[in-house]
Amino acid sequence: MTKFSNHQTARSANLALCHDCHKLVSVNTEDTAVSCPRCGADIHFRKPNSINHTWALVLTALVLSFPANLLPIMQVNFMGTTDLSTIMDGIIYFFREGSYGIGLVILTASILVPWFKIIGLILILLSIRFRWQSWLKHKALLFRIIEFIGRWSMLDIFVIALLQVLVNFGSLTTISAAVAAPYFTGVVLSTMFAAITFDPRLLWDS
Amino acid sequence: MSCNGIATTPPHFELSQIIACHGCDLLLERLPVKPGEKLFCPRCGELLLAPKNNSVNRSLALALSGLVLFPFAILQSIMSLDTMGFENSGNILDGVLMTFRDGYWLVAAILALTTIVFPLIKLTLLFVITLNIKLDRNPDYLRLLMRGYVHFDEWGMLEVYMIGILVTIIKMHHMANIHYETGLFCFIGILAMTLGSTLVMDQEEFWYLIENGNHN
Repeated sequence: MTKFSNHQTARSANLALCHDCHKLVSVNTEDTAVSCPRCGADIHFRKPNSINHTWALVLTALVLSFPANLLPIMQVNFMGTTDLSTIMDGIIYFFREGSYGIGLVILTASILVPWFKIIGLILILLSIRFRWQSWLKHKALLFRIIEFIGRWSMLDIFVIALLQVLVNFGSLTTISAAVAAPYFTGVVLSTMFAAITFDPRLLWDS
Repeated sequence: MSCNGIATTPPHFELSQIIACHGCDLLLERLPVKPGEKLFCPRCGELLLAPKNNSVNRSLALALSGLVLFPFAILQSIMSLDTMGFENSGNILDGVLMTFRDGYWLVAAILALTTIVFPLIKLTLLFVITLNIKLDRNPDYLRLLMRGYVHFDEWGMLEVYMIGILVTIIKMHHMANIHYETGLFCFIGILAMTLGSTLVMDQEEFWYLIENGNHN
């Protein structure tokens, strides 16, 4: 692998990478509005206002996490009785039944992944804020993992949507979503947008 | 952020011969990479180039097959459950509509977008883009469609939904008899086409062909 001397970056050579099509574009100053000659997207050296947007979205996710986890997400009506369950209740149910594999899948997707994303992004943002320059390669890897696992937290919402359609036996038993569902969807959305607005190149700038 | 002082000399290469890492902004020489090989950034480990064999033709084939199966995957019943004399079946669209009727419009909207709208847009865009490249036509809107494709790509969540179907089966199999129906097999079909198209499509090559035309 041939490298340019001294880890030269595109920005130091007055080159900016298009966010959409990854074309390298020559740019003179950062203030002028330039658009990509190949795809037409706006060109910036770094995603504009990246840190602020990411902080706002991560903190939104953090706040929404509490109602998402503490309020019931699913409602089961069985012969006239109503049973409300939170995400954790659903996981405990699988472990009690002896379905450890599936319990672990739900635990990972619904609880571990969202918290991993929130804590990971806060760690990355703090490390830029306080210029912690060690473990850069690991933080870059952490961000790639956060980007990749983002979508998997939607699993529980999909399962509830399927169950409410399939388990719809009139007076015998029905299943429907409960109050935590929109909060939980909000957590998934805001963490996914947080990963999109974050520019990993900022880790390497300091 | 100190970007002044260090390495202000312009690169001695043509712009077409260098690439920058989108993970850490490192400038690199564009090394020739053969189809099937991958180029990773030596500094941060980001995947930079991964050319594919016959990318346009294969993407076109997969997009077309996916589009043919799509209406059946969404509208045909996935499976039916029967227990104690009650029987019930449902498709993917029903899941969205019931959530909406229960008043959870945000959840219903996200369900509709991630399992129906975005996967459908992704396959449609891929079909139109590959067809235009194949016919060597380069209308102005082609680059807009390609940008749309890049952005919609990560919002389709068919594979997560598939795991959701498996979880549902495991959850229900000792409470009711499960019969698998046409919709499930069509859904597996569009999932395979969508994942396959992500694997065979080389965005770098597509952008190059859109910019320079397809002369072969």
